[in-house]
Amino acid sequence: MWQVYLKELTELLRDKKTLMFVILLPILIFPVLFGIMGLVMANVSRQAEAEEHRYVVIHADRAAEFADSLFYHKNFKQVTTTLTTVDELKQAIRDDKFDVAIVIPADFNAAESNLDQSKWQLIHNSSSQLDMISKHFNELLKTYSQKLQQAKLLALGVTMEQMPAVLEPVKVERVNTAESRENIGELIGGWIAYLLVPLCLVGASYPAMDIGAGEKERGTLETLLICPISRTAIVLGKFMTVLTTGLVAALITVVSFGGWGYIIGSMMGVDIVAKAMSTLGLVDLTLILALLIPLTAIFAALLLSLSIYARSYKEAQNYIGPVTMVVFMPLIVSILPGIELNWKLAMIPVLNVALGIKELVKGTIDYSLLGVVLLSTLVLAGAMIAFCVSWFQKEKVLFR
Amino acid sequence: MIQIQQLAKSFAISKQSKLSDSEKNDVRFGGDRFHSVRNVSFDCAAGEVLGLLGPNGAGKTTTLRMLSTALQPDSGAVMIDGQDVIKNPLQARKRIGFLSSSTGLYGRLTARENIAYFGRLHGMQETELNHRIEELLTLLSMHEFANRRADNMSTGMKQKTAIARAVVHSPKVVILDEPTTGLDIMTVQTVLDFIQSLKQQGTPVIFSTHHLDEVATLCDRVVVINHGISAFNGSLNEFKQLTDSGDLRQSFLQVIQREAV
Repeated sequence: MWQVYLKELTELLRDKKTLMFVILLPILIFPVLFGIMGLVMANVSRQAEAEEHRYVVIHADRAAEFADSLFYHKNFKQVTTTLTTVDELKQAIRDDKFDVAIVIPADFNAAESNLDQSKWQLIHNSSSQLDMISKHFNELLKTYSQKLQQAKLLALGVTMEQMPAVLEPVKVERVNTAESRENIGELIGGWIAYLLVPLCLVGASYPAMDIGAGEKERGTLETLLICPISRTAIVLGKFMTVLTTGLVAALITVVSFGGWGYIIGSMMGVDIVAKAMSTLGLVDLTLILALLIPLTAIFAALLLSLSIYARSYKEAQNYIGPVTMVVFMPLIVSILPGIELNWKLAMIPVLNVALGIKELVKGTIDYSLLGVVLLSTLVLAGAMIAFCVSWFQKEKVLFR
Repeated sequence: MIQIQQLAKSFAISKQSKLSDSEKNDVRFGGDRFHSVRNVSFDCAAGEVLGLLGPNGAGKTTTLRMLSTALQPDSGAVMIDGQDVIKNPLQARKRIGFLSSSTGLYGRLTARENIAYFGRLHGMQETELNHRIEELLTLLSMHEFANRRADNMSTGMKQKTAIARAVVHSPKVVILDEPTTGLDIMTVQTVLDFIQSLKQQGTPVIFSTHHLDEVATLCDRVVVINHGISAFNGSLNEFKQLTDSGDLRQSFLQVIQREAV
């Protein structure tokens, strides 16, 4: 068995494609991609922050103070217009004459002490996800409204001391019992599983294709079968190879992300990574690994069975494609808000491990539940390996 | 050394509708199974070279696969060097060197590593293995490409490596499935010389081929398989005497036609 294992590993290490998938992808390409994504996003939002919006105010003289605050805001630039009706203004914005129009009613009077609500109109295109116009406008309006509120309340005879009681009758002070680790864990725990589990699958799938279907495609399978070692030893050697690569791919990624996060963090003076690392103890990391090993074993046995059944690489790829989809389903469920590990979910493969990892990161794991997760995953892994071994003995699988 | 009695093997057919009319007319098509090999018997003594002839699809490869324990026969018996292949496949495998027709190599391993891998799988010790590999490299004149990866080899180099790999464990019996198909003249000569050297060492060789001149120069015995039945089993001289002309081609055609009548 170890002969097969060693030889398969040697061969995989000499293959450029495997190295790409298992080592280069997580170490260099992923972080670079994520880095570029982050840069682009930061750039876009910075641009949006700095953008200048051209505006017009109809009847600006009715609320001179507000008009002034708009005029002096760094993101707003006044333009003049002769238009007055809403439809005309809308058309002008569509024609890119200016970006936003504020219509103040002609009868508005800030100084008046009557208690009628005034209706203003804000006309702009709010389809952008980063709607900076609304944000800036609301800030300015809030300040302006507070001033009017104060003036009107004073006119009604409310003193400055009574003001908070009127404006905010109940003030709530929140006391959070969750430790900061629980919050971070809830936030990133699900995503850690979402990242790790597919990596184990991807890291396992290429080698599985190579040493299963590849062996048939190259015509080496027949020779291997007639060697005086049992077919069980052959398939277990192959299985160990696939398991190893799956785990190595996941480990390399974790280490590389940790490393890159640390480098970037220390460069920017943010110690998120250090904080995240310190929340996870050695025991938790070991337990996460203990969950991942049987799960990867399930993947390895499944992928190898499919691959050995396939006549060629191409066929193997067709079979393995849907498996990836099926694995993602429970992972998506695991990051949905409100899904927590319980006795029933502890029996569902993939989902149980993903939730277990999440709870471990949060530090709120119920160890008897974790045991159930581990046990059910181990049982399934054992069943899958047994299936793979018996599958490998069948002539209709080997000689198709 | 090798006795084969009434070997038979059938395969289940998954989709009958996919078969063409000519396939359905094949005499071996019965019920939901295709009886690839129906009744093959022959034997081969020590130091004999046996040529296995037959049209494409006659059941030669299936027969050789059963001999090599890759496939399990439905019925019949295979005895190799006193070992029952069917009852005791692991023991039998140690005595067999088998080269399949569509054989391949591990492309990312060198010739030497390819040979060594199978040597180790056969349980050979490192010193013994290295000694044997050097011997084979010389015998098949492979030294110049021994450390080249199989992906970068020519067809002839690959075939030499495959043959060396098949006999690395010094088998008692050597089975070669179309060892000379698709090779250039020099490589064919190397392969034939190699079979000759095995014969001199007293190792029986069974090989299937479509080249009658190879049969004429090498073989002591001839077996013709047609429609899964061993239609002829005898010495080369008996085979030649089937027709007055003594021409192997005529003999072969006569055997095939005899069965068809």
